[in-house]
Amino acid sequence: MFGYYLQLGFRSLRRNPALTALMVLTLGVGIAASMSTLTVLTIMSGNPIPDRSERLIVPLLDNNPANFAADTKAPDQMSYVDATNLLAQHHAKRQTALYGIQPYVDSGRKDLPPFQATGIAPTHDFFDIFAVPFRYGGPWSADADANRGDVVVISTALSEKLYGQANPVGRRMRINDREYQITGVVGDWKPLPRYYRLISGNPAYGDIEDVMIPFQTAVGQEFGNDGSTDCSGDSGNGYAAFLRSECVWIQYWAELASPSDRAAYGDYIAAYIGEQKKLGRYPRPVNYTLYNVMEWLDHQGVVGKDSRLQAWLALGFLLVCLVNTVGLLLAKFTARTGEIGVRRALGAPRREIFRQFLIEAGVIGIAGGVVGLALSFGGMWLIARQSRSMETVAHMSATMLLATIALAIACSIVAGLLPTWRACQVRPAVQLKSQ
Amino acid sequence: MLRMQNLSKVYRTHLIETHALRGFDIHVQDGEFVAVTGPSGSGKTTFLNIAGLLEEFTGGDYFLDGVNVQGMDDNARSKLRNEKLGFIFQGFNLIPDLNLFDNVDVPLRYRGFNAAERKRRIDDALGRVGLASRMKHYPAELSGGQQQRVAIARALAGSPKLLLADEPTGNLDSQMARGVMELLEEINEQGTSILMVTHDPELAARAQRNVHIIDGQVSDLLRETNASLAAVAATA
Repeated sequence: MFGYYLQLGFRSLRRNPALTALMVLTLGVGIAASMSTLTVLTIMSGNPIPDRSERLIVPLLDNNPANFAADTKAPDQMSYVDATNLLAQHHAKRQTALYGIQPYVDSGRKDLPPFQATGIAPTHDFFDIFAVPFRYGGPWSADADANRGDVVVISTALSEKLYGQANPVGRRMRINDREYQITGVVGDWKPLPRYYRLISGNPAYGDIEDVMIPFQTAVGQEFGNDGSTDCSGDSGNGYAAFLRSECVWIQYWAELASPSDRAAYGDYIAAYIGEQKKLGRYPRPVNYTLYNVMEWLDHQGVVGKDSRLQAWLALGFLLVCLVNTVGLLLAKFTARTGEIGVRRALGAPRREIFRQFLIEAGVIGIAGGVVGLALSFGGMWLIARQSRSMETVAHMSATMLLATIALAIACSIVAGLLPTWRACQVRPAVQLKSQ
Repeated sequence: MLRMQNLSKVYRTHLIETHALRGFDIHVQDGEFVAVTGPSGSGKTTFLNIAGLLEEFTGGDYFLDGVNVQGMDDNARSKLRNEKLGFIFQGFNLIPDLNLFDNVDVPLRYRGFNAAERKRRIDDALGRVGLASRMKHYPAELSGGQQQRVAIARALAGSPKLLLADEPTGNLDSQMARGVMELLEEINEQGTSILMVTHDPELAARAQRNVHIIDGQVSDLLRETNASLAAVAATA
């Protein structure tokens, strides 16, 4: 009977076309508003690296001065001293320090004058920790990290800008008046959000950096920090003094072998702070925090309150649309009490009438879902036009696409419950006589 | 085929009780063609609705084809209605956006027949009423008489044992009414019992038996007539 009722449902779309169109549109608009905001929210709050997010840890160490309030939290970044110490100890399975740089790229071409690119300076572990795919080549070696090698990994966008579709691995490119050898070109990697570097002053959503050079190479070349630098004490005089200071400006990630190693890693950090205390650092009681990826996103407030509010508003709007749909369905089904009477007389029990009309409501949901999908794409287009960072999140995945249709059907069925129940209460004897 | 004993139907509101049927007794034999007559408001339609399992009754017994219907739930009543009964209404009651084939198909769907069986029965039923060639037409494309023939085909398709007809010719002109009546007689000759409510004495006269309902009770027409005649003679 399901197929029969489905067929009747599609046929009934043609009945009262104006009423049907109104219902489909009402449902579609509600669905579109909800799904476009939910899509953005889902992408914003989604896990960017689900297979290892529990194992990727940001350690925050409280190196604040003694006179800071007792409840002051550990800063969100790390000093150069701590970053290099932790890197050298290699306690985790993999680890990277990183900071933002602003490299000037000189292509040597007349048609392409030197330009400022975006960049970061991590260690070679960065690429394995974050599972960075490569279009050509690969990361630089551990030796390049240790020896401040002049090597670089570039984005596909920069590669195409400089070399077209050619494989540039092995070529040398000029950055800040120095030659760097290209070891790899990053492939299709669009982490949403850019969780590996949330403290940059740039939006959390957007393209990856164009230039990546070894952390120590960048320090050796005295690349300034393109990001946030927080000095609670004296930053010293000159770059070397700055490196020795307690200024925090480096982001640090550790990849543990297993999420269960987290407590042990915490003990290690505590022990490290203890050692540093003996050297006259860390005047406050031992205080550190570990965050995994999702905790880090939450701590950084990546999903803004505005986005959540928008999603709630959109769901509220959907509710209003649903209430309207209930009214319209009531009108549509009430007009068919005669048919209900006939079907009851011909042997349909109430439960079959219930099924038939609920499926009809579901069919309206399918139509509403299709309209909603079209409108959602329109909504996403509008969201994408807000900014480049929004453009990167305003994409509907296949899952959300199916979820849109499923939500529309579910909504129409929920909206159809009352009208369908009313349809089942029709007394056939009364209807048949009044026909 | 149909037996009601001391049946009653009371409509209650918080103010009044209306006895639509009381002490109602009737027995329709297999293959019988019974016309039910009576003035408006006498309870004819209530009787037909109860007979058709479309309404519950308040007291008494009702046996349909030997089955006591009292206390049956909606599913069981619907199943019995679908298997044993066919309905023909004054207003035809075809579903306007289904073509003739699909209209006749409705009761067969609820019976659970497979597609081939349904098609065979629809072809046969529409063939019997002379509309086999118009099965793709919609009700609005037919005359009143033709629509009533489709309703008869729909009632017949499930091979019911009893046809319940409520003023089946009430909306038809005399020529069409005659055609429909002949069709009903033919169906009855083939063994289907018919219970027909009508206001038309001519149609009633064509039934094998007439049952007259007055004030919710079956009235013996012959006895009443004799009593009236006796009263007239006495006053003379």
